[in-house]
Amino acid sequence: MPDKVSVAMGQGSSCWGCFQSLVDIHMNLADVLPQLDIKFWAAVADFKHEHLEEYPDGSIDIGLYEGMARTEEDVHLLKVMRDKCKTLISFGSCSTFGGIPGMANFSDIEECYDVKFRNNKTVKGGEVPTENLPPITDVVKPNKDYVDFDIYLPGCPPTSDLILKALTALLKGEDIELPPHTVCHYCDREKEDTPIPEVLRPYQGKADPDRCLLEQGYICLGSATWGLCEGQCVNKGAPCRGCFGPPPPIHDDQGAAGISMLGSYAPIEPEEILEQVKDPLGTFWRFSYPTSHLGSMRIKREEANDQ
Amino acid sequence: MTDERTIRIDPVTRLEGHGSLTIKLGPNNEVKDVQFNVSSTRFFEKFLEGRPMEEAVRIAPRICGICPIPHHLASVKTVEDAWDVTPPPAAIKLRRLLIEAKQLSSHAIHFYALAAPDFVFGPFADPAVRNVAAVLKHLPGVATQAIKLMEFGQELCKTVGAKAIHPTTAIPGGMMSPITEEQRDHWLSKTDEMFENIQKTVDLAKTVVNDYLDVITKVAVTPTYYLGLANDGELDIYDGLIRVMDPEGEIVEEFEPRNYDEYYGEHVSDHSYATHIYYKAAGYPEGIWRANSLARCNVADKMATPMAQEALEEMRELVGRPSHHTFAYHYARVIEMVQAAEWIKKLLEDPEIVSEDVKLADVEANAGEGVGVVEAPRGTLLHNYVCNDEGIIEKANLIVATNNNIAGIEKSLMDAAKLIFEDEGHKGLELPDPMVET
Ligand code: SF4
Ligand code: SF4
Ligand code: SF4
Repeated sequence: MPDKVSVAMGQGSSCWGCFQSLVDIHMNLADVLPQLDIKFWAAVADFKHEHLEEYPDGSIDIGLYEGMARTEEDVHLLKVMRDKCKTLISFGSCSTFGGIPGMANFSDIEECYDVKFRNNKTVKGGEVPTENLPPITDVVKPNKDYVDFDIYLPGCPPTSDLILKALTALLKGEDIELPPHTVCHYCDREKEDTPIPEVLRPYQGKADPDRCLLEQGYICLGSATWGLCEGQCVNKGAPCRGCFGPPPPIHDDQGAAGISMLGSYAPIEPEEILEQVKDPLGTFWRFSYPTSHLGSMRIKREEANDQ
Repeated sequence: MTDERTIRIDPVTRLEGHGSLTIKLGPNNEVKDVQFNVSSTRFFEKFLEGRPMEEAVRIAPRICGICPIPHHLASVKTVEDAWDVTPPPAAIKLRRLLIEAKQLSSHAIHFYALAAPDFVFGPFADPAVRNVAAVLKHLPGVATQAIKLMEFGQELCKTVGAKAIHPTTAIPGGMMSPITEEQRDHWLSKTDEMFENIQKTVDLAKTVVNDYLDVITKVAVTPTYYLGLANDGELDIYDGLIRVMDPEGEIVEEFEPRNYDEYYGEHVSDHSYATHIYYKAAGYPEGIWRANSLARCNVADKMATPMAQEALEEMRELVGRPSHHTFAYHYARVIEMVQAAEWIKKLLEDPEIVSEDVKLADVEANAGEGVGVVEAPRGTLLHNYVCNDEGIIEKANLIVATNNNIAGIEKSLMDAAKLIFEDEGHKGLELPDPMVET
């Protein structure tokens, strides 16, 4: 099949939402799928891990890796994908920044095990399972610390439009051009540059649908977030939580940028802000803790423990 | 063959999670053990601790990219239960529209992309062929109806939820925004075509069921308990009481979600990161239950809508109630798709669906505990949070849909493995010619 582009789709620990978003290009599948020679995609085709391992290095044109690497098997698959694929794409925010499951790094792994297997409402005294299972890593390290990627396509998930645009360019052998704007650029809400008197939680009151949410006191990460989603939440009433990560250069600290934005809008005493913002870590670093400055100190601590 | 051996299937394919399969055989191919090894976990229950309750509603959907909407809604119902909040009726209608739209697209992707390739190409076709891309090539008409149904469901989710995958509009006290009349009219104008595709899906499913009746009634017929929501006895995926049916078909429990820990047992397996949920009163493994479409069709007395009810009656004539036939899950999924389609139409025709009164303004956080349950495509989904007086989560317990099925999947795989390795029963099965020869 010489005129087809060979692809491999790898899945680390993830929710499959990025792949679902790919499937959601709908009728465009009829154009795209026939151009692909699927070499590996566990959820769709019956190839096994050994199939992937047996392909010659660099023999697959495009690889997409979804999810973070939570287990040794994930790390292994990530490295195999790197070896086999000419162009390796970091697919989605888990793969690019650690994503939501990167918040597990807020705790130690033993505390995670406690809640999951040893002591919770319906579970008492279990042991961490081990038989025929890959060990879990002590901490979520960003995928980019294991392998180099050629392209980052962030988003939780990347939108179907974005995926289609990227795939179309790749299939033609062209570069992917992505606009650098933040979410605010695509937001229909009016900014009046007024300071906010107090920080509100999204269930409190009723927001004016035409005015900037941040200016009404609702924390919105739009200005610290890459706008590849074109503002889908903020235009439907929900404040941005930053799921596309920071704008390029995309490994800047999104959380730090978000907090300083809030600081510049809210002329409130620091102690009071601290009182009003209930969960800074889980609000500003929800999607990018492992790649952030704070998060990398956390990973270093773990590495020091190991030695 | 007299030696012991182990067969590993890694990964289990056409599954959106993470898993492998281990089959241990003893002398004379005696099946000693079958393990379904769910090979990863991400610790949501841990990192929900410390988050504000309303943010769990936006975090929890990331548990599953195929069923983010059930997580979004189970989560918001949990918070509302803890804070004693009742959202306006129009908000509940929007949420139901959201979950029914998701049910439609999830069942469509499951039936067409995950299951149908085996039936279309036959279970022994080459892996390069036995997949949805090949369905597109060989049966473009079937693929088109599949894609149209998925598109309808997913895009409608987007209209209501802002995003189809990981929606963001549900909030304790209602929804962040209403839908407009134009949006409503747009979706109403598409319902006829959607119903045509549903009808074609029902017809295809019936053909498959008739062709594979021998497989359905002989392979993986696994009596278990069943778990599912029922609302006044009707199959309901947004609200109701939790029912448990025993393997003989008797409803042995019907309870408020809040009391779930009296009935739910959670077994930590030594070979899977996913725990096994079971019926506590019967113990483990005797109390293994299954959830998902067939379980819901077993526990419910009837469907909530007329076309779906007709389809359920037909299914019951063929496989009975309860049906223990694992392959009948596909059939039950199609029946549920019909119900979802009928619900969607009914909701879109309801003038209140465009009401702007969708969010309370006076919701307050307080210390408490909440439980929220909905039916995800893969089964009964339960969230339980405990929060402090600022509404910050202190404890979270999540019983995700799939965990209700893991033990049942193992049991059903054990039955299938025995049939294949011990009795070689698969050789005598009547298989139809594949619809498409490859
Ligand atoms: S980035 Fe989001 S959608 Fe993609 S796998 Fe991670 S959680 Fe799922
Ligand atoms: S901060 Fe949020 S609400 Fe304000 S303009 Fe930016 S994206 Fe819109
Ligand atoms: S608005 Fe923010 S939270 Fe919503 S999709 Fe865009 S980046 Fe993600």
